[in-house]
Amino acid sequence: MTPAGLTRAAWFPTLLVLCLAVALTFLTLPVVAIFVDSSPGQLIDSLGDPGALDALWLSLRTTATSLGIILLVGTPAAYLLATRSFRGKALVVTLIELPLVLPPAAAGIALLAAVGPSGILGGAIEAAGIELSLATAGVVVALTFVASPFYVRQAMAAFTAVDRSLLDASRTLGMSEAIGFLRVMIPVALPGLAAGAALALGRALGEFGATLMFAGSFRGITQTVPLAIYDRLSTDFDSALALSAVLVAVSAAILLSVKLVRGEALGLAPR
Amino acid sequence: MLRVETRHRLGDLELDVELTVEPGECLALAGPSGAGKTSLLRVAAGLLRPEHGRVEADGETWLDTARGIDLPPERRRCGYVFQHYALFPHLSAWQNVAYPVRGLKPERRARAVGLLERFGLAERADARPHTLSGGERQRVAVARALAREPEVLLLDEPLSALDARTRAAAARELGGVLRESEAPALLVTHDFAEAAQLGDRVGIVDHGRIVQLGTASELAAAPRSAFVADFTGAVVLTGVARPGPHGVTRVELDGGGTVTSTDAAEGAVAVSVYPWEIAIEPADEEPHGSAENRLEAEVLSITVVGSRARLGLAGPQPLVAEVTLASAERLGLEAGVRVTATWKAAATRVVAA
Amino acid sequence: MRAAWWLLLLSCAVLVSDCGDDGGSSGNRTRLVVSAASSMTQALETCAARFGDAENADVKLSFAGSDELAAQIRQGARVDVYAAANTTLPDELYGDDLLEKPVEFATNELVLAVPQSSGVRSVDDVARAGTKVVIGSESVPIGAYTREVLAKLPPGEETAILANVRSNEPDVKGIVGKLAQGAADAGFVYVTDVSASGGELDSIELPQDLEPRVTYGAGVVMRAEQPDLAKKFIDGLTHGACANALRRAGFGPPP
Repeated sequence: MTPAGLTRAAWFPTLLVLCLAVALTFLTLPVVAIFVDSSPGQLIDSLGDPGALDALWLSLRTTATSLGIILLVGTPAAYLLATRSFRGKALVVTLIELPLVLPPAAAGIALLAAVGPSGILGGAIEAAGIELSLATAGVVVALTFVASPFYVRQAMAAFTAVDRSLLDASRTLGMSEAIGFLRVMIPVALPGLAAGAALALGRALGEFGATLMFAGSFRGITQTVPLAIYDRLSTDFDSALALSAVLVAVSAAILLSVKLVRGEALGLAPR
Repeated sequence: MLRVETRHRLGDLELDVELTVEPGECLALAGPSGAGKTSLLRVAAGLLRPEHGRVEADGETWLDTARGIDLPPERRRCGYVFQHYALFPHLSAWQNVAYPVRGLKPERRARAVGLLERFGLAERADARPHTLSGGERQRVAVARALAREPEVLLLDEPLSALDARTRAAAARELGGVLRESEAPALLVTHDFAEAAQLGDRVGIVDHGRIVQLGTASELAAAPRSAFVADFTGAVVLTGVARPGPHGVTRVELDGGGTVTSTDAAEGAVAVSVYPWEIAIEPADEEPHGSAENRLEAEVLSITVVGSRARLGLAGPQPLVAEVTLASAERLGLEAGVRVTATWKAAATRVVAA
Repeated sequence: MRAAWWLLLLSCAVLVSDCGDDGGSSGNRTRLVVSAASSMTQALETCAARFGDAENADVKLSFAGSDELAAQIRQGARVDVYAAANTTLPDELYGDDLLEKPVEFATNELVLAVPQSSGVRSVDDVARAGTKVVIGSESVPIGAYTREVLAKLPPGEETAILANVRSNEPDVKGIVGKLAQGAADAGFVYVTDVSASGGELDSIELPQDLEPRVTYGAGVVMRAEQPDLAKKFIDGLTHGACANALRRAGFGPPP
């Protein structure tokens, strides 16, 4: 190869490495800064503050409830979309994916317009004795709304990727479609489902705008960790850092466990 | 007994089939890809609902479009072996086999391992499918299909995913299983030799229809069309036939040469003969023996298959001949050598083209 | 394929030019960054543009709770003018050498705001069991003023009202929003917010003895890029076009 050829060949790999370096720095610096900006002792102290503990517990409860609803309702829905075709299917899929591209503030407005006190279903909800606005249930509604498309989309892809002959085989072996769904489709699609659940979980944990607008901010009732961080921004920056650190740690744990599930499951996949 | 009647349009293909398989019999359907063979199996299994059809197994009606009966696959006692086996990747071999079996774990496992033993796979019972070889997976798939004690066996190209070496052993084993089984078996394949080996009867399928049904030797000896002849592995030559002296038929081959046949025919025809019925003589020798048909050709290729040599010959039309390896060596056959291919008029089949 | 490359280059160029917009001048006009309390949103939006035209400057307004704006300045945000809904926050910044000496430029009044359909008519009604109340969080001026008011009430009443609080909003917009959608029965906001809500809310005046001193303070941020222009803007808050706009919105003159 001529010298000119060598130079021409080298600039592209260099560019690639450069881009990666920039991306890596940009993405890791803020995370690192959270842990470096304050001492571990101060961080742990601020976590002991009851308001912070309330926020953590509330975030945990609401996110778990929301995820439970998403998995229970979203899994069969995604399965239907993955295995059947019908008129208007593309439209249905787009509608389900819509909250994905909706900015959180718009999501908050949308929820208010739909199920807020003055919303379309507001009267019916109030008549049923359910309180959503300014209540914990409202937080769950907001989280479910913004996080479900993340799961449903991934679940759809995961089910679509399952070899259709596996379900056929299950049926020829005497199991109805429902049993085949539980004994074959879900286990085989599990890595994809887990990845979707992790995305939804992460999104729900971090939800701020829609929660604030729809459910308000009150300690122990609606002030989730992101809202608590915002509240402490001007008065107790250390506390805000500490809570952020916890969120980062939890998110990392979720990501890691998903990778483990995928890795283990991929050990089962046929070559 | 299994009876399948169906008419169904699949894109460009019009499936129109009627067949009956006796208990203990294996009917092998052979045909090119896209002929509709797999669709037929799926209709029998309930995985495909045809526009018109009836499927009866052991006196029980599984499908009758006229009367609105359509049992879902899980209610039909079929054992279906899929072309790529469709083994559940998240379950071990014994768990796959035990899938259709109800009961407590110890009994299910015992039953599954027992079946695997029949296939010599008992030690691999706990292995996951992706750690098994192709041949082992094929056997697990068959064992799984049998686990349900099915009334009907349906096999979709059960050997085609195997490499040539494993295929021979697997074919013998599968043949044994089919002979032992009392259930009627319907098998589809694109390989006539496989169909001949495994099927008690063979049906040739073309464009959704069974064009000829009979034992493998009947089909080879008396193909009803050029398609069947070609599919069963014969050499097919085209030409024009006229009646000749002594009741034989003379065929002027396209491109040159004349052959004689004991079949009666006239007009545009296809002439077929099997490669192993063609003898090879050196080009310049005087004819000897009773073989009337002689064609000059040049050797293009020699392929060794066991103790046989398969010769690709270029004459006015292409020919394939099979001789013993010893003969090939004795005649000094290699690419470029000119030879005479000869065979008997009585071994020559003629059908309207 | 080539079209794709051109498109990529074009988008990069647009992005870069957008980034280049921050810091200093864009073209010929100088840039003035103003952080102001949420309650002044409607009032300042139009008058600031006119100020900018008169001074040949681009005025960039940033509205949020005064406490959050102060936090941003502490973290080093590039701001020229800081205008808060109290004097405490500007004084704190001044004490920490982050702000030049602040001036008082306006006053406001705390009221009890209710949505049209509410049954609340007075502060006592707010103490009734089952009433849903929304107030500002502790660190934002509106929340601090509210707690001042509540502290002046008999202790039983204060506790009752605090028990009815359903949300501690980070700024007045949140309180107004919740009242406007009918999520709460009453909230404590500035009288200017009720006017700005365009008739959605009714205001109930607080008894004189409960009314806190609501004074707005503003100052030039240290290390501002445009200190002279910033000073001019702040002067305008007391005797200029913006002062008139504030008056029209319902703000009172400086004490």
